[in-house]
Amino acid sequence: MGGLKRKSSSSAKALAKSKKKKGPHLPNSILKVIANQKRPLNSDEEDDDDVIGSDDEHGGDLYEYEEGVPEEESRKNNRYDRHDNYDYELPEDFEDENVESEDDDDGGNSDNDEAEGDDDDDDDRHTRMLQSLTGMPSAAFEGESKSKPVLFTEAYPEGEFNPTRDVLEGKNVLTEEDFLAPLEGTPGYQKTSKQIARMRKDTKHVVHAPLPKPQRERLERKAVIGLVDEEFSKWVHLVKKNREAPTVYFNQDVDLGYSTVGAIASEFQPRTEFEKKMASVLNDSEVSMEDHIKDHNHIAKMRSLLFRHEFKSKRIKKIKSKTYHRLKNKDLKNSSLGALMDPEMAKEEAMRQEAKRVEERMTLKHRNTGKWAKRMISRGLNVKYDGPKAAIAEQLQMNANLSRKMNSMRDGSSSDESDDEEEFNDGSDEDTPSRLIAKAKEKTLKALEDDEVPNAGLMSLPFMARAMKKKNEEANEEAKRALEEYEEWENSGGENSKKTVNVSGRRVFGATAKVEAPKESRKDSDNFYDDSDSDNDMAGIEDNNIEPVRDNASPARNTITEAEKFDDDVAGNPASKTTFDVAMFASGSWKKMTGSKNTESKKAPKKTRAPIPQAQDKKGPRDEESGDSESEAEQMVDGVLTSASKETFEVPSQAELINRAFAGDDVLDEFEKDKEEVLNQEVPKPEKPVLVPGWGDWTNIQKKRGISKQMVQKHEAEKKEWEQGLKTRKDARLKHVIISEKVDKKAEKLHTTTLPFPFTSKEVFEHSMRMPIGPEFNPSTIVGELNRPEVVKKTGVIIKPVKFEEVNPNDEVDDEHPRNHQKQRPKKKTSRRQGKVKSK
Amino acid sequence: MEVALEDNSLMDKVLPPDEQEIDVELEAKEKKYLRGEGANLETLKDKKLKTQLASREKLYGKSAKAAAKIEKWLLPASAGYLETDGLEKTWRVKQTDIAKEVDILSSRNQYDIVLPDFGPYKLDFTASGRHMLAGGRKGHLALVDMMSMNLIKEIQVRETVRDVAFLHNDQFFAAAQKKYSYIYARDGTELHCLKERGPVARLRFLKNHFLLASVNKIGQLHYQDVTYGDMVASIRTGKGRTDVMEVNPYNGVVALGHSGGTVTMWKPTSQAPLVQMQCHPGPVSSLAFHPNGHLMATSGKERKLKIWDLRKFEEVLGDSSGDYSRYMSHSMVKGYQIEKVMFRPYEDVLGIGHSMGWSSVLIPGSGEPNFDSWVANPFETTKQRREKEVHLLLDKLPPETIMLDPSKIGAMRPSRRKERLTRGEIEAEKEVAVEAAKGVELKKKTKGRNKPSKRTKKKKELVENAKRTFPEQENSAAGKKRRIGEDAAAELPACLKRFARKN
Repeated sequence: MGGLKRKSSSSAKALAKSKKKKGPHLPNSILKVIANQKRPLNSDEEDDDDVIGSDDEHGGDLYEYEEGVPEEESRKNNRYDRHDNYDYELPEDFEDENVESEDDDDGGNSDNDEAEGDDDDDDDRHTRMLQSLTGMPSAAFEGESKSKPVLFTEAYPEGEFNPTRDVLEGKNVLTEEDFLAPLEGTPGYQKTSKQIARMRKDTKHVVHAPLPKPQRERLERKAVIGLVDEEFSKWVHLVKKNREAPTVYFNQDVDLGYSTVGAIASEFQPRTEFEKKMASVLNDSEVSMEDHIKDHNHIAKMRSLLFRHEFKSKRIKKIKSKTYHRLKNKDLKNSSLGALMDPEMAKEEAMRQEAKRVEERMTLKHRNTGKWAKRMISRGLNVKYDGPKAAIAEQLQMNANLSRKMNSMRDGSSSDESDDEEEFNDGSDEDTPSRLIAKAKEKTLKALEDDEVPNAGLMSLPFMARAMKKKNEEANEEAKRALEEYEEWENSGGENSKKTVNVSGRRVFGATAKVEAPKESRKDSDNFYDDSDSDNDMAGIEDNNIEPVRDNASPARNTITEAEKFDDDVAGNPASKTTFDVAMFASGSWKKMTGSKNTESKKAPKKTRAPIPQAQDKKGPRDEESGDSESEAEQMVDGVLTSASKETFEVPSQAELINRAFAGDDVLDEFEKDKEEVLNQEVPKPEKPVLVPGWGDWTNIQKKRGISKQMVQKHEAEKKEWEQGLKTRKDARLKHVIISEKVDKKAEKLHTTTLPFPFTSKEVFEHSMRMPIGPEFNPSTIVGELNRPEVVKKTGVIIKPVKFEEVNPNDEVDDEHPRNHQKQRPKKKTSRRQGKVKSK
Repeated sequence: MEVALEDNSLMDKVLPPDEQEIDVELEAKEKKYLRGEGANLETLKDKKLKTQLASREKLYGKSAKAAAKIEKWLLPASAGYLETDGLEKTWRVKQTDIAKEVDILSSRNQYDIVLPDFGPYKLDFTASGRHMLAGGRKGHLALVDMMSMNLIKEIQVRETVRDVAFLHNDQFFAAAQKKYSYIYARDGTELHCLKERGPVARLRFLKNHFLLASVNKIGQLHYQDVTYGDMVASIRTGKGRTDVMEVNPYNGVVALGHSGGTVTMWKPTSQAPLVQMQCHPGPVSSLAFHPNGHLMATSGKERKLKIWDLRKFEEVLGDSSGDYSRYMSHSMVKGYQIEKVMFRPYEDVLGIGHSMGWSSVLIPGSGEPNFDSWVANPFETTKQRREKEVHLLLDKLPPETIMLDPSKIGAMRPSRRKERLTRGEIEAEKEVAVEAAKGVELKKKTKGRNKPSKRTKKKKELVENAKRTFPEQENSAAGKKRRIGEDAAAELPACLKRFARKN
């Protein structure tokens, strides 16, 4: 029995390599079959030797078939009729010590069918063994295999003339190798074996039966999938990169060929004879390109000038007006051009001019002495309307022009001006100061005399009239003062210096001012606050000349600082009429307000020129004192005006303050009550379940069972919810705060109800929203990047399918280098494109 | 792009210590410009979204870095400060002392304008600080150019003027007068009479929303859109007359201080106050907001100043302790009744309107040192002003955007249902309950029943009972999740069922 020890795993190997067979002999036909089943379809052309060789590798796949217990015997179920087992049964735990269990040898593989032949041998031996042990016929032990539905019993012992069942079935047929094996080592062996091999080659073309279709297709698919996977996996990184890129660029420059004429011309090659001739002429000629261009330009210019001239002359020719042509001719004749050309003509011209001048000076033609002009002036229409005014001015101008002496160095522009002035001043020849003063005086008197009130229209309204009257009064006053001044001037004579003017102008009028001012201001202040509505209509007129409220009695007056005193004369002067000089003279920093003074000076009676110097000299001292007053203003920072204010405030004492603070001590309680109220409103307290008489009982006699459990439970739940609601409020822990949690329906549209698509969590979405991306909030270098669209594309660019390119999977997606998805241009171009992107 | 890349590579290099220091400084600024932290992307399952958001974050970082650099290198001026050495206190420093130290231009900002006749003056500055409006109680309105100290216009309205306010620029201003409030143009012409509001006590202009807010004598709060003249909201505060009104510049919420010591905050779209705070035991005398909107200062008639953190609605610190202490002091002449104090924007100047005119004092460090010409430009030309006006109108915000936390605009709508307690809270409650159960003193029972074993058993039971009332969180959450998945699968048509998410 020990000799039966087999190593099925190495049996085939043993057969092929060494002829020392220890295990059962496997006929070659079986091996072939096994080999055929193992190898893939397309390996038909392989050698049998190879097949066997390959078998070696799969040696582990061969095993013996382990026959199970027949189903009839196992009695697993009663599917089969019961039959007596009359064999001797080995106890279940019987174990033959010498026989190695077949399980031990199993390589753990399961292709049992393949080892069928081997198995048969084993079975034979096994039955024989059992036979010898028990003396029972071997048939009793013959197991029935599924593959062999027919049961053969061997009547005879195996021998030369009694072939085995394998032989009968044509399975275990002897082959050439079987015969050759014993010959190995003998002299002609090699030769014969070669011959046999050659023979086999002839018989090699064995077409195996094709595999069933589904199986075949499965195999095909498997093979194809592998290939496709390999092909596709190359693209994965590329696609991933594109997917993850924040922006995909398709903005490559498209080369449309030549863009300029020059570029086309530079490529030009002369081909025809004519072209060649031209080329040779062009290249050989001594005319340089510059000269040519110059010539060309010149010609072009001339041509265009000619063209224009022609055009112009055509247009002029078209004009049919005779007057035009006449005037034109005249112009041509009279033009200074002509005079310049011809000295004779110039002389003539000069003569004519002179004659004209004489004529002009003789006649009154352009002096507005005509009927129309007189009428205009007499009615004052020349002042009122622009048209007549302009016409009259034009006449005067003409007069001036004509009466001007020609080509004389003696009377320059200054004398001209004086002439003009004369005209405007209605002809006064001297302008000595005394004369001027006299004139001014006269005018002032005239102005004083004529204060007529129009009795119709807007001005006739009572309040307007009042206002006018007031204005007139003021004007009169001013005029009077002016008159006095003139007198003084006249007395002192022309040599009176400005110095006196500066000082005296103010000193003299100070007295009258002080008399006037309080009266007026009192009147104003009465109106100010009491009946503002009734006075509103006045406001429009009087707004501009409100007098400073400045009672002599007011305490503010008494405590005026030096600065104020310095200014007092000015401020108190009613003539100074400054608008809004509420108290601006009180502090030096208001000196910059002189702008308003100018408007004031305009308002002074128009015809008098006298007030102007007054205004000017008023400015003078102010400028002088400005430095002073500023320093004084600084002094006031520290509060020189200690007792200045009218209202005196009593600073309440500490005790008083504390009293006041805790006067409403129940403020806190009140707040708590308020809070409770608000809470009740926003988180309503659940109502307590109550028994309603007549509900929940049949009769009134019946004893009430109280509130039902269900209601109580419900109430409990509600109460819990309520408490929860109170607890989750923001102001739950803040005693002193009520935060309303009412939902603002109008503001609801400012929120999203659902998360936008790719987001799945609220937090991430809200965090992504936190940064504004607009140009107001980001540096301009980043704004473009922040707002770049997903795809950047020029119009007209054809988007080509993605081309394969090697992508390093470890590279990060970087927006800094915009990748180009259409790489068909050399790199120069791409760099240019990038430059453009940068500048964007 | 390439240049930027080079920059980055430069940044990666190891920097010398000086530059590293600068780096630290920059980082702090960068943080400011990042406006909070990014979301935790690790939790995201969607890889595409993850990479997209990551690249976005990178851009934000770049933007913040650039902004920080700009702030560091390009903003020319630095904030003013007042430094004292040794035992000197900053609040002992007088205006005269400051005047000696500062340059001439700044010292010109120290002055008093004495206008004794038209009573206590209200002041208002334009957003750029270029113009000032002064309104005397007795009807004197003056518009002053603060740069050249020119008086632009001065009018006498001959009525009580209770408050003045600029509209969006120096071209228009509003004045609350005796009976009605009026809008005037720069040249003093009366443009509108706002009769609907009644006698207005305080006027404020919300410049982002173009709303003119006012509270009148009977405690009604009005919001009027000045672009088309509609009354957006009129709210009865129900708290009585108030003279204290201020706008939170961060969110446009109007705060009113009341006589009961409460401060209420309002928005035009709700009739109820957003927040009511009990700030003082006595009447609130004035209010002020920090420009970033997180801090509010209130003062009460009981001579207390309080600072409130508006994110938590808690008092930060009382007066003169900790971080907030007295900085400077300026004594006015006794008897001056101070009506209004207001910082001039972009200057270290405080304007004080009082009964004798107004004064201007220097407060170093009070003004923003650098102006942004997109926000407010003191040197604006006419053309710029006009363009700005158009831009302002285009950027006008609708009134409903006024809310306590405007950063929530665009976010998910807060759920209407009461939120369930979070897991942490439940855990905490559970712990409390368990502790309570453990602490229960057991009664002493009769002999035999009072065995230690029995006692421990009883205690354990109690604890178990306490625990049982809190359901296990994980299980319920998992169950919910599964249910959602199932629901989704059930809802889908048969052909799509296979795509339902499997848990």
